Amino acid sequence: MLFFVALYYVLFRPSIRERSRHYLTRRFPGRPGLARLLDTFRISFEMGKILVDRAVLGILGPGEFKISLSGRKQLQALLAEGRGLILVTAHVGCWQVAMSSLGALGPPISLLIHREEGDVDRHFFEHGAGPAPYATIDPAGFLGGTLEMLQRLKRGEVLCIMGDRVMGGDGSTVAVDFLGSAVRLPFSPYKLASATGAPVAVIFPYKSGPGSYALQVAKIIRVPGISGKSPESFHPFAAQFAVALEAFVAEHPYQFFNFFNMWEYMEPKR
Amino acid sequence: MTTTEKLKKILVEELNLEELTPADIDDDAPLFGEGLGLDSLDAVELVVLIQKHFGLEIKDMDEGRTAFQSVRALSAYIDGRLNG
Repeated sequence: MLFFVALYYVLFRPSIRERSRHYLTRRFPGRPGLARLLDTFRISFEMGKILVDRAVLGILGPGEFKISLSGRKQLQALLAEGRGLILVTAHVGCWQVAMSSLGALGPPISLLIHREEGDVDRHFFEHGAGPAPYATIDPAGFLGGTLEMLQRLKRGEVLCIMGDRVMGGDGSTVAVDFLGSAVRLPFSPYKLASATGAPVAVIFPYKSGPGSYALQVAKIIRVPGISGKSPESFHPFAAQFAVALEAFVAEHPYQFFNFFNMWEYMEPKR
Repeated sequence: MTTTEKLKKILVEELNLEELTPADIDDDAPLFGEGLGLDSLDAVELVVLIQKHFGLEIKDMDEGRTAFQSVRALSAYIDGRLNG
C-alpha cells in the first residue's frame, strides 16, 4: 500500500520531486533522469515508512520497536563527568523513536524544539496516554531558551539539539561544507558546550529493518572554553558535525529528510 | 568599584563589546536586542561570567528574566544575592 502511495506522490506531485532534488543531486551527482526518479521514490518510500512508524510509536508506544543503542557505555561515561551531555542529531531516521530509547541513559532528557500551533507531529507524545519520554525547550522562548538549556546541563541532564537546521533564525550559524557546497549550520550546541564544559555526542538514529531502529554514536566532540563573540571560533566543531553527517548519508542515503535547499547560501541575520 | 562598574567592565572586556567603553553603557539600557545588542548565546556566556566573577548561579528562569533586563537590574540582583 505504502509503495503505491509513494509512487503516486513521486509521479504526480512535482513538488515532492523538487523538494528532494536539492539533497539528491548532491548526494548522487550526475544521475540520469530515470535513476534520479528512482532515488526520489526510494527516499519518499523511506519517509513513508518513518511516518508509519511514528504513528505506531505515538499510538502503541516504543515497546513496538526493537531499538539498539551502540555506544551506550560511552554516553554513560560522558554523563558521569557531571557536566551534562549535549546530543547533537539531525533530521535522519525517526528521531522520535530515538528519543524514546534514550531514557535508558538515566538522567532526564530535554529536546530543543520549536513549538508551533497545532503541530501534533512534533510533540505528539504529549497527546498520547503515557508520559512523554522527554521535555521540550522552545527556542522561541525567553533568550532562545538558553537559560533553560544551561540549567539542565548544570543538573547533569541530557540536552538534545538538531545540528542540521537553525531554530529561531537568530543568525547563530556558521558556513561549513556539506556534500560539496556550503551550508549554514547552527553553532549554539558548541557554544553551550564551551560555556559549560559539557561533552557533545553526535548521534544518528536510523531504521535498521522492519520494526527496528539503531542509534549510532557517530562522534564525540570536545569544545574548549572559547571567549569572544566570533561565530568562526565554533566553525571547527560544526564542521566536525558536517563530516559525521556526510558519513551517515554515505551509508544511509535514503534516511536523510531535509526536504529544502539547505545549500541556498543565506547571510546570517545580525 | 561598585557592582555596576564591575559589571560594565566585564561586559565590555569579556563579551567583546567593541566600540563601547564601560562609561558608554546606560544603566537602564536593555542587555539584549536593542540596547547593548547582546543575543541569546551571549546570555550563556553572561551566566558563566556572573558565576566566575561573583560566585553566583542564576538558578531559574524567573531569576534570569528579572535580572537580565538591564545593567541596573542585574547589578541589583547580584547585590541582593550577595548581601541577602
